Amino acid sequence: MMNLCLYAVDVAREKGATYADCRAVRFRNQRLATEDHRVASVSDAESAGIGVRVMADGAWGFAASSNLGREQAAETAANAVEVAHASALARNPAGIRWADESPHSDVFRTPVKQDPFKVPLEQKIELLLAISKAVLAVPGVKKCLGGMLFKTEHRWLANSEGSRIESWTCTSNADYEATAVDANTAKTRCYEAYPLNAGYEHIENTPLLAEARRVGEEAVAKLKGRPCPVGKKDLVLHPSHLALTMHESIGHATELDRVLGMEESLAGSSFATIDLLGKLRYGSPLMNIVCDNTLPFGLASRGYDDDGVPGQRWHVIRDGILVDYQSGREVCPAIGARRSRGSCRADSWASIPIVRQSNIGLAPGTKPLSPEDLIAGTDDGIYIEGMGSFSIDQKRQNFQFGGDCFWEIKKGKKGGMLKDVTYQAITTDFWGSLDAVCDGRFWTPYGVMNCGKGDPMQIAQMTHGSAPARFRQINVGGAKR
Amino acid sequence: MNQAADEVLEQVLKLASAESVVAGLYGNKSATTRLADNVITQNIQCDRTGLHVECAYGQRHGGASTEDFSPEALRATVQRAEAIAKVSPPDPEYMPPVEAAETSKYARVQAYYKSTENLGPLAKAEQLAAAAKNVQARNLRLSGAYSNWASCRVVANSAGLRARHASTDADLHATVLGPAGSGWAEMISNDTAAIPVADVAGKALDIAVQAQNPQPLEAGKYDVVLSPAAAGELLLFTFWCGFEAKATDEERTYLRGRLGQKVFGEAITVRSDPADSRCPGEPFQNDGMASATLPWVERGVVKNLCYTRYWAKKQGKEATGWPANLLMDGGKASAGEMIASIERGLLITRFWYIRHVDPMVPLLTGMTRDGLFLIEKGKVTRPVQHMRFNENMVDVLNRVEMLGPVARTGEYPMLVPALKVRNFNFTSTTKF
Repeated sequence: MMNLCLYAVDVAREKGATYADCRAVRFRNQRLATEDHRVASVSDAESAGIGVRVMADGAWGFAASSNLGREQAAETAANAVEVAHASALARNPAGIRWADESPHSDVFRTPVKQDPFKVPLEQKIELLLAISKAVLAVPGVKKCLGGMLFKTEHRWLANSEGSRIESWTCTSNADYEATAVDANTAKTRCYEAYPLNAGYEHIENTPLLAEARRVGEEAVAKLKGRPCPVGKKDLVLHPSHLALTMHESIGHATELDRVLGMEESLAGSSFATIDLLGKLRYGSPLMNIVCDNTLPFGLASRGYDDDGVPGQRWHVIRDGILVDYQSGREVCPAIGARRSRGSCRADSWASIPIVRQSNIGLAPGTKPLSPEDLIAGTDDGIYIEGMGSFSIDQKRQNFQFGGDCFWEIKKGKKGGMLKDVTYQAITTDFWGSLDAVCDGRFWTPYGVMNCGKGDPMQIAQMTHGSAPARFRQINVGGAKR
Repeated sequence: MNQAADEVLEQVLKLASAESVVAGLYGNKSATTRLADNVITQNIQCDRTGLHVECAYGQRHGGASTEDFSPEALRATVQRAEAIAKVSPPDPEYMPPVEAAETSKYARVQAYYKSTENLGPLAKAEQLAAAAKNVQARNLRLSGAYSNWASCRVVANSAGLRARHASTDADLHATVLGPAGSGWAEMISNDTAAIPVADVAGKALDIAVQAQNPQPLEAGKYDVVLSPAAAGELLLFTFWCGFEAKATDEERTYLRGRLGQKVFGEAITVRSDPADSRCPGEPFQNDGMASATLPWVERGVVKNLCYTRYWAKKQGKEATGWPANLLMDGGKASAGEMIASIERGLLITRFWYIRHVDPMVPLLTGMTRDGLFLIEKGKVTRPVQHMRFNENMVDVLNRVEMLGPVARTGEYPMLVPALKVRNFNFTSTTKF
């Protein structure tokens, strides 16, 4: 495959490209879905193709094909150059600024102890059906949906600067949800072996079956939960919930292509504009947001991005101040950076690389603090686990989030369950109210598999880690007011 | 790809030793030219062909896919599907392949236009460059994307069914930005000849000019005029969380126990018809079952739910599959008439990031985007800063007071009218 990439790059250069890269990618996905006591579907999908990206006439062109023949590769490369010539009709008069990067020759591989594709299907089915049985044994639970996803991506990347990069990543994920039904409504509680770049050992190390009864019982308890109060409450947020809050209010807001207006037509832009770099108080001094594409098990950890830049670790927010962005080679010169942060990825051989969120998370607190301490120090609050409803404006300021499960906190103690909790805030107000973060013992990574961005839409994966954290006096309950 | 597709599918059926086989093949040529700040920032072309095979032994079934059409890959794909089927437990909901006679039920759908397939990057770039020049001349910035696709889908199964559908589609959406405010417009058609690029960009430009320097407005309940794009998004979210028959019969959707009842307002009628030339849909589903022509909601009454073949058989109903398109009846009111009827309200260009808060209501939340305007005493008076809504959609669809002519909107094939809705509930504001 690398030879095919090199050939396509050569053809593109011969056709007039001043820069060219070619990615050949081979995906394999195995998906299992169960519904109650039956296996609803099992599928095994392979996808392979090449994508050729070129600069010609000071403009971009990209072409892709699922045909991996040598002639087709040449045609695809020639198409990419032709497309670039068309783009030149409305090119940037200043040309494309493209940050330097030394050529790399390297191979990256996700460490995997147990190849999920070699684990017998029967074993996976047996686990999912056992989970269903345990969940459905809880009185009041009427439905259990389960699933597993295993995905490998084998990528070969060559560019006209001399980079030759090969990577193999493997993602494993399993989840299920219990739905309880009563005379008034239905409520669902979820549990997940959150996606990690790891093998089947991740599934085996997660107590999926052991937690099934509790998950079913909590689905039933949600039906009887007290309605969300309306007003200001302190929020104690579990990492499984905070992952999505960070994703929406920080991760997307600090993608430099959005900041520069390159995503205006679809995903939107950002309030965190470059004139605010180094000045914007994003949150309280406890807020340290770290990007890390070298994070073990991180879904964005793949050695190098699709611009051929190695994974890095850096702060975008330090002590509450915006200090950097997530970037690719095309956009980083706009902030005077000489080198990209290596955050440019495509979701397929058929897609063009764009700036994507890295593994981005909240650094743990530096003083010893447990979740129990956090709750004990909360007089009147709500504790939230898991992801639920989420919506945020296109500049990433006004957001409203729900969650999967909610408990009241009264006078330092976790109390009864609440239902339908939502909280709403302006991003900087919310992060400004951060007053405590548990220490590193409680820092946990959670993966996001379905981050949509780009036009046409691309679906990317990344990991958001944090320790439980507390936010003071946040508006709750506005959704049902 | 017609002949080649047939050959591949026949080969797959021969390779399979399973009792039942369904093979689906798709070919797709797509291209998108994307702009930001009046320049083309991304320009892509993709040529993709794929195969999915479902094999079954009795009620045991499994599926596999590939994009490699070499003889070895085809054989390996069939073997993977068969291997899965052999170890999967019997599925009590498995249904045998659709009979060959099903094809007689297919709607006649004309959705292919050579003009769309042939529209190349140069012609698109010329049109977009001209539009960008116009916008730039007003010191504003054009962003957007113009996409065109040509697709072919072929299904063959071991019961003798052979189905084929070719279509094209195109989508242009334009966002025009000023220093403090933006406007947006879209046009979707199967035929690129029906997409006037300059007009679409011009509409976004007009909205952007009016949208500059919005001022804050307190959240609360306002009568609103929703564009077809705004109304369409609400309709889609409302439909998907309610109309699945199995979930509804199991009391897991807001329509539980309400089939045949008047749930929405008298003004609401929604149906599917894949042959509707204004917004054609796929004539058959992935398994070869005919896409249904039927009403979902008629004058507010829920007339049908989405039945799979299994669930329909179990419940003694007709299978409907998933809707090939959603066609909402419109009315005759112009946007001007709707605005003139409002004492104090809001004109909404479109929504953004709609999500379910509670699908059992269904309660939705979302933001306004790209132009929100205050209406006072029957006239649009000024732009205001964007707001978040939280709304019960059953209630909203009982508060529709006027409907405009329908327009095609969104990625999912939909025809939706502009709506005037009373007392739309906004719960918070943002900063721009």
